[in-house]
Amino acid sequence: MNRMIVIRGLTGLGLLLCLGAAHGFNLGQELRNAAEALQKPGKSAELGGYSEEEETAIGRQIAGSLLGAAPLVKDPQLQKYINNVGRWVASQSERPDLAWHFGVIESKDINAFAAPGGYIFVTRGLYQLLDNEAELAGVLAHEIGHVIRKHHLKILQQSKLVDLGGKLLAKQVGGDEKIHNLIGSGAEIVSRSLDKNAEFEADRIAVVLAARAGYDAFGLPEVLQEIGHSATGNSGSVALLFKTHPHPDERLSKLGDAVGSRFDGLKGLTLDNRFYRLKP
Amino acid sequence: MHSTRYLHILLAAVLLAAPIAHAGEGSAAVKADELKAEPFRDAKTVGKLTAGDKVEILKKDGGWFQVKSARGNGWVRMLSIRRGVSRKASTGSEIAGLAGLASGRAGTGRVVATTGIRGLNEEELKAAKYNETELKLAESSLTSRAEAKKFAAKGKLTARKLDYLPDPAEGEQP
Repeated sequence: MNRMIVIRGLTGLGLLLCLGAAHGFNLGQELRNAAEALQKPGKSAELGGYSEEEETAIGRQIAGSLLGAAPLVKDPQLQKYINNVGRWVASQSERPDLAWHFGVIESKDINAFAAPGGYIFVTRGLYQLLDNEAELAGVLAHEIGHVIRKHHLKILQQSKLVDLGGKLLAKQVGGDEKIHNLIGSGAEIVSRSLDKNAEFEADRIAVVLAARAGYDAFGLPEVLQEIGHSATGNSGSVALLFKTHPHPDERLSKLGDAVGSRFDGLKGLTLDNRFYRLKP
Repeated sequence: MHSTRYLHILLAAVLLAAPIAHAGEGSAAVKADELKAEPFRDAKTVGKLTAGDKVEILKKDGGWFQVKSARGNGWVRMLSIRRGVSRKASTGSEIAGLAGLASGRAGTGRVVATTGIRGLNEEELKAAKYNETELKLAESSLTSRAEAKKFAAKGKLTARKLDYLPDPAEGEQP
């Protein structure tokens, strides 16, 4: 059944190539790679085989669209600060030389986003919940985890081919509008849920990267504790976050299982004094 | 028509009930764990918490909370506890917020429009227009690896080696 969908999906490649050109980024190669990967049985979990150049092009498209929805907070000192913290944490990962970009965007929502190629954004709402640099490092490290494990690239590839295959099968594809709906705009991908396990994996990576960078490993868990409260208070602002992520209690519990006693005696800095505070 | 409306009211009542009960609780254990005399694993066990046990957090030390509870006082891993009180006063309308949250959490299907949500929702993300100027601005704040190292040194942060954590779900398999 899956194989059938893949084959049908491939017949739609021509259509997508035109569309890719219209949207100004190289969907063609992307889809060829995805098609190859999907044809191998059991290989769907290993998708993400883009060159770094392709990955960055996709990431720029998504990041540019996200910024179209929510622009940067116009505070150059803040933006430089988040890039300093983020790049230091990313330097502890297996992709230290990627051109990592970080930013705080104008939104009351409590959320953070990652796009392929190392584009990471935190909302003003989330930033204002933070109390120290270790917490910021933990949040950024979670997003860095998504980038280094290529979680979004994988769903982008899967959804495009598999979704399209399904639609073609039902013979429902009509005009350009429908195809556009199928692909969605570049930023829509950040509002989609990843697999729950991808979130737990990013949490496990986050505490390790923060600790490797010399920070208190428990910055992200502190933030998760706080987000749990926002759920009961100012909760409209976490609706999307809660829809796309497991509940903070579940994340804390899973992380606890993974950490166990491994971090006992591991001290780190929180750097409360250096933390760049935004006016409320 | 009438029954649909009734269903909505019923659904809203059910969805609202759970978070309100949750909001009234204090700090509690999210899972069973031991209470220790000191904040480390080899310290003497002074009690045992089970999931749902209420605790009062007195202090934090690294990954540990010092707590008071009906099962005794001692240190417990912070990842086993859900903090009951926010460190910052919450704002906004409780009820409107809860309604938004409830529908957000209940939405297992595709994109669902919900009321009471402010900020960045799926519709806005979908409708977003690519903004090259903002993207260039974001890219202009890039920090190089070398710069980041200097920034870390200023804060007295030192890099250290640490293995990634294994997935406990995989570890349980034979």
